[in-house]
Amino acid sequence: MEYLVSHYNYWVYILLMMVGLYAMLAKNNLIKKVIGMSIFQTAIIVFYVSTGAKREASIPIIAHGHGHDAAHTVIEAAHYANPLPHVLMLTAIVVSVGTLGVALAICLGIYRRYKTLEEDEIQEQLHDSL
Amino acid sequence: MIWQIDLSVLSLIVLCGFATIMVKDLLSAAIIFGAYSFLMCLLWTEMGAVDVAFTEASVGAGVSTILFIAAAYQTTRIVKPRKSGRIFAKIVALAASVAMGLVLLAAQTNFPGFADPESPASLHLSPYYITQTLADTAVPNMVTSVLADYRGFDTMFETAVIFTAGLAVIAILRRVKHIDRCELPDPYTISAGSQDNIIRFVSRQLVPFMQLFALYVVAHGHHSPGGGFQGGVILGASFILLAITYDIQLVQQRMNEKWNILLGNIGVLIYASIGFICLLLGANFLDYSMLSKILPATDPVMARSHGMLGIEIGVAIAVMAIVVTIYLNLASNGKLDKGL
Repeated sequence: MEYLVSHYNYWVYILLMMVGLYAMLAKNNLIKKVIGMSIFQTAIIVFYVSTGAKREASIPIIAHGHGHDAAHTVIEAAHYANPLPHVLMLTAIVVSVGTLGVALAICLGIYRRYKTLEEDEIQEQLHDSL
Repeated sequence: MIWQIDLSVLSLIVLCGFATIMVKDLLSAAIIFGAYSFLMCLLWTEMGAVDVAFTEASVGAGVSTILFIAAAYQTTRIVKPRKSGRIFAKIVALAASVAMGLVLLAAQTNFPGFADPESPASLHLSPYYITQTLADTAVPNMVTSVLADYRGFDTMFETAVIFTAGLAVIAILRRVKHIDRCELPDPYTISAGSQDNIIRFVSRQLVPFMQLFALYVVAHGHHSPGGGFQGGVILGASFILLAITYDIQLVQQRMNEKWNILLGNIGVLIYASIGFICLLLGANFLDYSMLSKILPATDPVMARSHGMLGIEIGVAIAVMAIVVTIYLNLASNGKLDKGL
């Protein structure tokens, strides 16, 4: 039971990654593929953030810390969540909206040329033009 | 950490993930994906990652959803059923994802338990950040101090990546000359809500408060969740709201394309030039403590705090300009005349 409670999180992240990978491989619609990529991305991000969680720990903001008069109070590392994965994933989320914009722009470019977003129809048109 | 809440949020997330993939309408998929992002945001708050949750609420649930809707508006919202004879592809995809899942399941048995304070990730580098942030930088929000000071290089290039993404969207979509524009059928009509006076009035009243809140988020990021990225996205979202409820022309009059690209440049340059000022004063690149020489009445510790504020402002300007640019180009298919 203890092993179950401490590891079920990982199983859910793995399930989300499988959903994302399946969508990227099997879906016919290009925007659906982009959504699958985003799901895969969030699964990895949530895995990283979960490594920063600590039992009984507070959010990574020091209470009553104003200026450096408070610098002398003793701060225990175990009382605050690990801020490092938070920082890395915060920037990853913002970059992911940039990459999402580029991916959707490419989808729009493809639609402009082939008038469809379905993978098999684009392939047919490519075969016909050969 | 209450595992019952954790488990229920996680199961809702998986449900939303499946629904996003299964649904046959791109607009519904975008909305369900927004719900998925909000649930992620709850999960992160529950894990103590408030800054990440704030970012996800503004970026993932807000801007990503509207980008998907803009893309569906410019193309088509209907997902056609796959033609027959493609069952094989589905089986291969299923086999590949199950194989990946099994490999990861085998790997996770070696992982430390969830929320274990003794896990390797929490023992080596991060205790220094947690215990020294007040003494080194006088910033109580350690996410901000790690983001803008200890790992400032990292954040500078992340900002540059966002700027590059904006340039890439312009390069792919923007059609300046009239001949370059290819004729497309009229975009799929999603709603006529933008003609509604109530919606227009309410959102117009909302915009100044949103912008004020965004400035607060940027300026108060040292003491509370928030910072340049979140504030910049909220600032950009206020312009996107205007573009949705009125039209793109209204936003173009206030912030045209030239200004947008210029502001994106200025944001990245503010970041880099603060680094260079430190270099000129004889310290390392982005070592803000040397700024105490030119800032009046500051010691090296407070100078690091002020330096962080400076680069957060740069990040906010760049992110705002790029988010607006990406939205306007996607929503108008690169013509910047009319759209969603």
